[in-house]
Amino acid sequence: MNNLDNLKAIWHTAKTDNLPTSKEVMRLIGKFRSQKLRNKWLVIILSLLLFAVIVAVLYIVPFKMATTYAGGAMMALSSLLLAATNFRSLKRFNQLEDCSNLDFLAFIEQTRKNQIFYYKRTMVTIISLCAVGWLLYLYEVTYQHPLWCIGIYSAAAIYLAVMWFIVRPRAFKRDTEKLNATRERFENILKQLKSYETS
Amino acid sequence: MTAFEEIYNSYAPQVYRVCFGYTNDADQAKDLVQDTFIAVWKGLPGFRHQSQISTWIFRIATNHCLRAIEVAKRMPAAELPFHLADTPEESPEEKLSILYRCIAELDETERIIISLELEGLPQAEIALVVGLSSGNVRVKIHRIKEKLAQKLKAYEQFR
Repeated sequence: MNNLDNLKAIWHTAKTDNLPTSKEVMRLIGKFRSQKLRNKWLVIILSLLLFAVIVAVLYIVPFKMATTYAGGAMMALSSLLLAATNFRSLKRFNQLEDCSNLDFLAFIEQTRKNQIFYYKRTMVTIISLCAVGWLLYLYEVTYQHPLWCIGIYSAAAIYLAVMWFIVRPRAFKRDTEKLNATRERFENILKQLKSYETS
Repeated sequence: MTAFEEIYNSYAPQVYRVCFGYTNDADQAKDLVQDTFIAVWKGLPGFRHQSQISTWIFRIATNHCLRAIEVAKRMPAAELPFHLADTPEESPEEKLSILYRCIAELDETERIIISLELEGLPQAEIALVVGLSSGNVRVKIHRIKEKLAQKLKAYEQFR
């Protein structure tokens, strides 16, 4: 059995009649189109929509204070940044398919680095811009009513603190563990390929 | 029949065997075949024939294999012979099962290379799929065959 020609003959005895037909695969593709990348597209569309709404409100409503415009602009900028980041990520994945295993592993490594950069820099920038923008935007509505002001700012501060100090670190920790597991696995595979190159 | 359907009918069995060789799991291999052909369908309009279509498809398939987080049913070598010891004559299914098990004990890249080799891809094409030079692939295939032969011999000794 250890002769290669025998092995090839054995290899080709694998039954493939349980595979879906091309028609069934076409049906699956129809489902895939609406599911797989939907979340990323949804984030892009909603961010752009939010950007448009904020800009429209700032343009139409005659606000009196510069803080409102500054706050609105910061929130609009954060939505635009979120849309751009997700769009760039989608574009990278769309350009991926025709590459060798070695290039693919390099792509995965770069994706991991991008994800870490996103968590450490881009996400911090987006959340900071949006949070500060939000607090500035609320000032005009509340400054004449001290009780409102205290209530709204307290609620906003608590919400932001929970998001920043509890939700974000937890999500970061969970994703970091996943990323580290991926890194170890791919480093091992990459090492296998590199050892071929040097041997 | 559309171009995609023709491609699917020609390559799905080959891709399935390669994915099965990598995962040693029929269901996971089937899922990988589907993922591969979803990617092929998506990429087909933009495919510029810079490489052969088979190279392109096997690149997609093997990249999906590498991406699959859990490779199921990889059995530790020590457990294997006990399942086989009382089998007097191997049926083709058993032979195939032993071959898959031996391949499953190899490293990830070795599994990909030997699966493509057994599938009958020219070594130059395997080199393009994996991203190594043809020379390296030739040497590698030689070593993997030796490794595989040793594993198969070890099985036979326990029979």
